[in-house]
Amino acid sequence: MKRFIEHHELARDERFIRQDNRQATILASLPDDVDVIVNALEPFSDMLEQVIRGTAAEPLFDEYGPGFLITIINEPLDPEAPAALTRLLLRMHGIFVGELQALEGAARSLWDFPEAPWEFKMNMARQCWDEGRHVQIFEKLITHLGGEVGMFPEATFLFECACSDDPAMRVAGVNRGLEGLACDVFRDMIRYAHKTGDEIMEQAIDYVLADEITHVRFGSEWVREFTKGDPEYLERTQAFRREVDKQFSLGGARSDREDAAIPIAMKDRIEAGFTQEELDELKELSGSGPSKDTLVQAAAVLRERHHAKKAAASQEVAS
Amino acid sequence: MSDRMYPGLGPDERTTFAPYSAFDIPEDLRELHGRYDVVATAKRVRNFRYAEEWMMMMMGGWVATIPEIPVKTGLGKLIWETAQAADEFGKRLPELRCGRKAVDSGEPPNNAFADFIQSVAEPETPDLTIEKLTGLFDVLIPHLIEMYELHMQETDQISDAPTIEILEHIVRKKRRHLEWSQEVLDRLCENDELRERRRVRADTLSKELRESGGVTGTLEAGRGVLN
Repeated sequence: MKRFIEHHELARDERFIRQDNRQATILASLPDDVDVIVNALEPFSDMLEQVIRGTAAEPLFDEYGPGFLITIINEPLDPEAPAALTRLLLRMHGIFVGELQALEGAARSLWDFPEAPWEFKMNMARQCWDEGRHVQIFEKLITHLGGEVGMFPEATFLFECACSDDPAMRVAGVNRGLEGLACDVFRDMIRYAHKTGDEIMEQAIDYVLADEITHVRFGSEWVREFTKGDPEYLERTQAFRREVDKQFSLGGARSDREDAAIPIAMKDRIEAGFTQEELDELKELSGSGPSKDTLVQAAAVLRERHHAKKAAASQEVAS
Repeated sequence: MSDRMYPGLGPDERTTFAPYSAFDIPEDLRELHGRYDVVATAKRVRNFRYAEEWMMMMMGGWVATIPEIPVKTGLGKLIWETAQAADEFGKRLPELRCGRKAVDSGEPPNNAFADFIQSVAEPETPDLTIEKLTGLFDVLIPHLIEMYELHMQETDQISDAPTIEILEHIVRKKRRHLEWSQEVLDRLCENDELRERRRVRADTLSKELRESGGVTGTLEAGRGVLN
């Protein structure tokens, strides 16, 4: 068995549909400019449509066009919003596949780094069990909400971005970047579950969040240990983590902005070992994407063009 | 008046006078005898640790390339329990005069067993779940259970009791792993062709394991049986 695999090698059963990661990662590099965002996302329209046809996201694509990603990702979950359940399931399914990739990332760390210290292996092994349970928990929560595994396409960009071939960067990417994002998302989901009175969801995710804080702590400790006495290596590792954090901020959807869809879980992150300096940095880099107004305008343009395209196509068929 | 010695916390507390009823307990009939001395047990524990660590690592490698979700999540738990087994063996080593730094020092009994472990770890692609699981759960783990039980029977029951305690706990877990894996493999091998794949894989690896002498390298000397 070889060391190090690519994200496209992650094995899935026949229920899963794979989505091109470029659509997910492009959001992180967009400037605060409506035209640039529209021009960047419009070319993905056909590709996106192909992947989404037949999945539960099809009505959302029909309604919003290629801008549906920015519309959905950047809006906070609201039980009163249109298509609230589909949005909730979309997020829940995204978390489910994220947990799968976290399991795979932690497990590969055991094989990819055979010379790593034993305590590191013990931490990764423990994480495998935890992530395996999280996959089961979110599969059950999807069912609890009336959905099913495979109802939305899966982007494997979490694994792609976080799984470096270097051990310090691997834990920085998986345990601090990916698991840090998980802390933010889960704190938000707990708030949502509390608001809607869903005690099953609230309690289950509260336990998951407790595990994730432990995993981030593993990451914080092992980055320190792996880079001990080598400030240049530490800086490269921190730069990698910043890059991952930028990607995982999804163009500001996860940020410290007032209207962020997923606020940064500051208290949980401090408990997990992030320093105030790192958190200030995260606030800055996650909020540096396009503003909410820009995204709303871009989504409106994309939606308008999408409907115009559809109308032209049906007119052509009719004639 | 009985001549039997009854237990006390120190030598001067041992008595020969007639016990009162609370002390009228059956005599410990175990004898101070075991097949392995401290050095031999330490070597075997190192061998056991080596096998457990590699099993944990190869399962970690496979999780991403196995498409069946219940197998992925099931392996997550097994990885942790196997890591704990390796850890327990490692913690026993300093107690067997291997030095405090010995906790992470597993070692194969010989090169042939190390090669066998690599053969078990070899399957890689997503269509090889049967081959992956068969190597571990039809060949290696049943062999380990037999060798662990053999050690428990043959070692000094009193002097080496800490190793026995560790092995008892690990064997209990391993049996649960086998129950899980048999259910999974039976489901995966749903027709004759797939069952044949499982049989061929098990036969090939069993032969290699036998030739290596097993986890302690002593099978050819008549110590231990093979599945």
